[in-house]
Amino acid sequence: MAQHVSKGARFHAVTANRLTDGEVVYFSDQGTWVENFSQAVIVDGAEATEALLEKAKTDGFLQVVIDVYPFEVIADETANGFNPASVRELIRAAGPTVRLDLGKQAATSS
Amino acid sequence: MEPSKNLIIDGVIAEDIWTYIEDDSALVDGPCVVSLARLKQDFEALQAHPFPLGLVVRAGTKQGEDINDVANMLDALSLIAIDFPVYRNGRGFSTARVLREDYDFKGELRAVGEVLFDQLVFMQRCGFNAYALPENMSPDTYNQAMRMLPGAYQPASDQRRGIIWQRHNQKS
Amino acid sequence: MYRYDEFDHAMVRQRVEQFRDQVARRMSGELEEDAFKPLRLMNGVYLQLHAYMLRVAIPYGTLSSRQMHQLAHIARKYDRGYGHFTTRQNIQYNWPALEAIPDLLDELAEVEMHAIQTSGNCIRNVTADQYAGAIDGEVEDPRIISEVIRQWSTFHPEFSFLPRKFKIAVSGHANDRAAIRFHDIGIAIKKDSAGAIGYEIHVGGGLGRSPFIAKKIADFVEPQKLLAYLEAVMRVYNQLGRRDNSYKARIKILVHEIGAEEMRARVEAEFAKIDARGTLNLPNEERQRIASYFAPPEFETLTDDCPEFDAKYAEDKAFAQWIKTNIVAHKMDGYAIVNISLKPIGGVPGDATDVQMDRIANIAKAYSLDEIRVTHEQNLVLPHVRKSDLYVVYEALCAADLHTPNLGLISDQIACPGLDYCNLANARSIPVAQEISERFSDLNRQADIGELHIKISGCINACGHHHVGNIGILGVDKKGTEFYQLTLGGTPDENAAIGDITGPAFTADKVVDAVENIVETYMLERKDGEKFLQTYRRVGMAPFKERLYGAE
Repeated sequence: MAQHVSKGARFHAVTANRLTDGEVVYFSDQGTWVENFSQAVIVDGAEATEALLEKAKTDGFLQVVIDVYPFEVIADETANGFNPASVRELIRAAGPTVRLDLGKQAATSS
Repeated sequence: MEPSKNLIIDGVIAEDIWTYIEDDSALVDGPCVVSLARLKQDFEALQAHPFPLGLVVRAGTKQGEDINDVANMLDALSLIAIDFPVYRNGRGFSTARVLREDYDFKGELRAVGEVLFDQLVFMQRCGFNAYALPENMSPDTYNQAMRMLPGAYQPASDQRRGIIWQRHNQKS
Repeated sequence: MYRYDEFDHAMVRQRVEQFRDQVARRMSGELEEDAFKPLRLMNGVYLQLHAYMLRVAIPYGTLSSRQMHQLAHIARKYDRGYGHFTTRQNIQYNWPALEAIPDLLDELAEVEMHAIQTSGNCIRNVTADQYAGAIDGEVEDPRIISEVIRQWSTFHPEFSFLPRKFKIAVSGHANDRAAIRFHDIGIAIKKDSAGAIGYEIHVGGGLGRSPFIAKKIADFVEPQKLLAYLEAVMRVYNQLGRRDNSYKARIKILVHEIGAEEMRARVEAEFAKIDARGTLNLPNEERQRIASYFAPPEFETLTDDCPEFDAKYAEDKAFAQWIKTNIVAHKMDGYAIVNISLKPIGGVPGDATDVQMDRIANIAKAYSLDEIRVTHEQNLVLPHVRKSDLYVVYEALCAADLHTPNLGLISDQIACPGLDYCNLANARSIPVAQEISERFSDLNRQADIGELHIKISGCINACGHHHVGNIGILGVDKKGTEFYQLTLGGTPDENAAIGDITGPAFTADKVVDAVENIVETYMLERKDGEKFLQTYRRVGMAPFKERLYGAE
C-alpha cells in the first residue's frame, strides 16, 4: 500500500472504510465517521496521532468500520485548511480520477 | 500444546486426557504427546512407556515438519495432533490426508491451534476426527459448522465419493 | 457450453447460504474482520480504495447471452452501471455494498454464475484460449478439461488454505493465447502419434514481483490421470510452499528454489501414490458428459463466398478497416471470429456499461450462436458469426460504441485498475493508457506501426501483465510521486519472454513521450515488415536506450 507517513510528518487524520458498503470515511471531532474529508479532525504530531487512532478504535468500532489507519495531511487552501499528502489519499477522498462522475467528487460537483 | 478445554472427538465432547511433554522433560504417568523431534530421538524409550503415545506435528513457516520422517513409527501412535499455527497456514490439511490415505492411520487425528468455524468441514473431509475448538464454540455451533457444504465435487479422506464420480454411480 | 446439473446448482446455492451466514455473523460482530477476510476473499469480495469490489467468475471466459444480460442487470441494480473485464477472463464490479452481496450472488446463481474462489489462497478461475471451439488447428477444446478442473478444484478441502493464490490456464492450440507459461500450472493439449490426447504440464510460471517462465514437468499425462496428477502438484505445493513471506509463497518460488527436476520427482512420487488408489481416475462417462457440452454448435454448411460481404467491404472503408484488424478466420467456411475491442480511444480499458453489455448479449444471441468470450487482454469475442452477418454485427457494434478497429494495435492496451481503484497500487495506470491511446489515435498511424502490445501495471503485482508486454509499463512510487518504469520485448505466448528494463523510470508527464520515442525508434530500425517484437529481438536494447536517455 502506498501510504506515506514520512518522518517528521506533522499533521494527520484518521480514515477507514465503512463496513456495510465500503465507503471511505474519516474520523470527525464528534467521534463519528463522516464521508467528507473536510469534516475530518486533524491533529498535530505523533503523540496526538496515536491518541486519535486510539480514540477511533473505541468499543464497537469493528461493527462500523474496517481498516482504520492514520495518514498524513498538509496545509492547503481547502475547507478545513488541509489536504491529504499522498496521491492515494487524494484519490480516496475524491474518487477515481478517470471517472469524475463517480465517487465523492460526483456529489460535490454541480 | 495446551490441553484442550473444548475438545470434540468423533462428534462428542470429550475430556483431554493427553499431556504435552516438552522436548527436555520427563514423561508423565499417562498418555503423553511429544514433538516430532522427540519422537525421532527417543522412540525406543517412548515405545517402552506403558501409556498411549501421541505426536504433535508442527506446520512451520518457511518449512513444515515432514510426517514421512516418522512413517515407521506411526503404528505406535494413538493420537496425532496437527497444528494450525495460524488459520492461513493450511499445511495441516495435506498432512492429515497423507496420514489417513498413504499411511492408513487409524488413531485420533486432532486439529489444534487456530481452528476456525469455517474450516471445520474441510478438516473433517481431510480426515480429522477430533478438534481442539475455540473455548467459546458451543456444540451446536460445531454441528452447524459440520453441516456446511454437504455436497462435494471431489473425493478426499471422508466418505463422500465426490459428485464427479457420483453422477455415474461410480465407486471411487 | 456447460450447463449446471442439480449438483452444480446445489453447490452454488450452498455456498451463497454459507456466505450469507458469514456476512450476518460479521455484521453482528460474532465474526471478526481478521477471520472474515479470508472467507469474503474466497467469495471474491475485496476491499478497494473507494468501496468493496466483487470479482465474478467467468469460467474459461465463456458466457451465454442470458448470463451477459444478468451481468448488465447486476451492474445496474447493485453497482454504478458498469463492469470491468479482467486479465483472468472474469468481471469485476467496483461498488457493491457488502450487505447486498448475498442477494447479488443469488441473482448470479439464477444464471449459473458465482464468485467462488475468485480470490483468496485457493485455486482460482481456470482460463483458456478465447477462440476455443472456433479456431482451426485446435487439438482439443481446452474448455473440456477446464471445466473438469473447475469442478475438482471447487471447495477442495485440502487446497483452500494454500500458501498463496493458484492460477491454472489451458491451451489447446499451437498458438498459445492463454499465456500458459506464465501460470502456476499451464496445460498444453497434445496428441501422440496414435492420435490420442494427452496433457503437457508446466509449473511455476508467474508474473508479479518475480516473473518466471514455467518449467515443463510432464510430457503427456493421460486424460483419466489428469486430476490425480494435478492433485499431486497441489499437495507438493501445499506442503512445501513457503509461508514465512508472502512474496516468496507462490509455486514459482518453490520450483525456482528446488529446481524443475526435484519438482518433477516429488510430483511423480506423490502421483504414484494417488494413482495407485485410483480414487481420482476420471471416469470416461464424466469426461464425455462434459465434452458433450462443448461439442460444435449447429453450424450451417456455408461457403466463404459471400458477395454481400464483398460489396460492403469494398464500399465501406471503416467496415473494411474493422474487418482487417478485428476479424479472425473461423475453422468453418462462411463463419468468422469477431473481436470486440473494449479499448476505445481515450476510454478505460476493459470497461463496459450495462447498456453495452445488454447490446452485446443481444448481438450474440442473434448472430453468434448465443456465445460470448472474454479474453485475458480485456476484450470480448463473438466466436461464431456468419460472414454474411458481419456487416449487421458491425453496425450494431457501432451503435453501442464497440467498434474500435484496434485489435492487437498500439491502442489495444492492457491496463490494470491501478491507483484509481486498487488498494495495492502505487500509481495510476488507466490515465497512462488513455493518454497513449490518444497520442496514437490516428488509425493510419496505428496500422503503420502494426502489432504492438502495451501492458500497464500500477504496482509490482503485475495484474496488467507488464512483464510480458512488447512495451511494459510499471507504475512505481518514488517519495509520493508516480513514476513509470519501462520494459521492452516481453511476450506471453509460446515464445514466452520477460521484458527488459530500459533504464530509469519516467514521470507521468514524460512517459507517453518515452513510449512515442520507443515507437519511433522501432519505425526507424525495422526492416521488411518486421513487427515491433521482431525488430527488438534483432537490434536489442541499445538504440532504444539511446533514444530514451541520450548517448552514454
